[in-house]
Amino acid sequence: MRSFITIALNTFRETIRNKVLYNILLAAGVVLMLSMSFGDLSLFSRAQVIADFGLTTMSITGLLLAVFIGVGMLGREISSKTIYMIVTKPVSRESFIAGKFVGLFVVLVLNLMLIGAVFLISINLMDSEIRIKLGWAVLLIIMEMGIIVAASIFFSSFTTPTLAAIFTIGFYVSGHLNDLIGIGAEQKNNPLWSSALKIVYYVIPNLEHFNIRALVVYGLNIPQGYVFSAVCYGLLYIVLFLILSIMLFSGKDL
Amino acid sequence: MNVIELKNVSKFYRKDFWASRISAVTDLTISVKKGIVTGFVGPNGAGKTTTIKMIMGLVRPSRGWVTLYGKDAFIPGSRKGVAYLCEQPYFYAHLSVSETLHFAADLLRLPPKAITSEISRVLSIVDLSSKRLVKVKELSKGMQQRLTMAQALLGDPQLLILDEPMSGMDPPGRRLFRKLFRELVDSGKTIFFSTHVLDDIESVCDEVIVLSRGKLAFSGEVKTILNSGFQGTEMVVSALQKQDIDVLVQHGCVVGSYDHSQINLFLPAEGDLMKVQNYLFQKNAVLYSVSRRAKSMEELLYQKTDAGVL
Repeated sequence: MRSFITIALNTFRETIRNKVLYNILLAAGVVLMLSMSFGDLSLFSRAQVIADFGLTTMSITGLLLAVFIGVGMLGREISSKTIYMIVTKPVSRESFIAGKFVGLFVVLVLNLMLIGAVFLISINLMDSEIRIKLGWAVLLIIMEMGIIVAASIFFSSFTTPTLAAIFTIGFYVSGHLNDLIGIGAEQKNNPLWSSALKIVYYVIPNLEHFNIRALVVYGLNIPQGYVFSAVCYGLLYIVLFLILSIMLFSGKDL
Repeated sequence: MNVIELKNVSKFYRKDFWASRISAVTDLTISVKKGIVTGFVGPNGAGKTTTIKMIMGLVRPSRGWVTLYGKDAFIPGSRKGVAYLCEQPYFYAHLSVSETLHFAADLLRLPPKAITSEISRVLSIVDLSSKRLVKVKELSKGMQQRLTMAQALLGDPQLLILDEPMSGMDPPGRRLFRKLFRELVDSGKTIFFSTHVLDDIESVCDEVIVLSRGKLAFSGEVKTILNSGFQGTEMVVSALQKQDIDVLVQHGCVVGSYDHSQINLFLPAEGDLMKVQNYLFQKNAVLYSVSRRAKSMEELLYQKTDAGVL
């Protein structure tokens, strides 16, 4: 447990000293500022536009952080051999993977909360009606990013950082298109293609479950228990990806 | 008692999916005894680093068994009390010397209260106390190597596995490490280290294992090897009478150059040195110098390993 906490803390410290993090945060800040200006040009209310922009920005920011920092981190540990400092001690590879995930995820959560706080304040300043629902939306984005980080660690555990980054982005996109993949799988013109799509549909998590932007922006009701189910769904996939990462990483020659 | 054991260990690699298998280590069976310094020698590409990585659980053997204190080397628990120092120092650039050691101490689960004093202890051993707050990336390569050693000494490990520990070190650093090795072994620790420098083997090691093209070429005691290379004793003595020289020749001495003041004598290994010395003493000859003539470690290992291994 102590080695796991040590690895997580070190990952956290390493990540918050990464310049990429601040560049992405700066970009997110600029987009949020722009959303305020766009609010005036939109047919919808200013608050709706800011909420829509804000949540999208958080999702994209999380993805960028997971890809640029998460993927690079494990690959860099292996290529720069700093991993030797850890795994040559009585530390299990399970602790290493779990520590890396937690360290990175905490940074991601803090950043998303920072962006979330900025944009919640800007919405409150405008006395908007969109309020608590935004908190749920942010929570689900955090869960989604947890899956992305776990997936990025999974891809990094068996391939190069470049390929892992491509796979992670592909995973994010296909996760959001999961419903369409499901519809495609129903077309029975080509059984082989249909089966392949079905496999993708069932294996890749449906990341749209974490997208309640439309409900929040248009003030619609979030079904009871929806957030809880989505969080459980997210946790399940995070654990699954971490187990797969550990299995692959345990047998890897370093 | 053997602290490290490799039984019929082989390791095969593929450079890529379609490439044929390359053998890095083949059917290697070696053991390292407790409480001594064992040198691990071999040319580049002999498989030394791969073997050490298998011992440290970084690489899984394709065949055979690797054990540390009788436990499978791939189990994290087997590395308790085992320190590793790799050829190239690898550190987190964002950490200072002290933070690096703190991180390592935490991973070793040292008692939190003892960490600060333990860091001071190991830093003073490697003479880096003044660099405590310096970022690791600002240290020279030699200093980074010392830091690696400091890290390896944390928690007073019983076994140190060192991969080319003195590569890139300046002479004072090498001296420090050699002295340290002896001190550690004198306090009951076991050291297993790979090197290219046969001088290190001669001056530090008790046993040597020679690897060639992934296979065991030779293993044995350094003292025995060096003794097997003993050719004889060279002596420089004050001038003697002709009849005295004849007696020495009868005792097996070979007379080298001589002038009116001194004579160079050589007594081959099979000769009786005691007899010669007693005779010189009786004749009141002054012994200016006595030295051993022996083959170098390099020559001996070259012979023992079918020439071309080293």
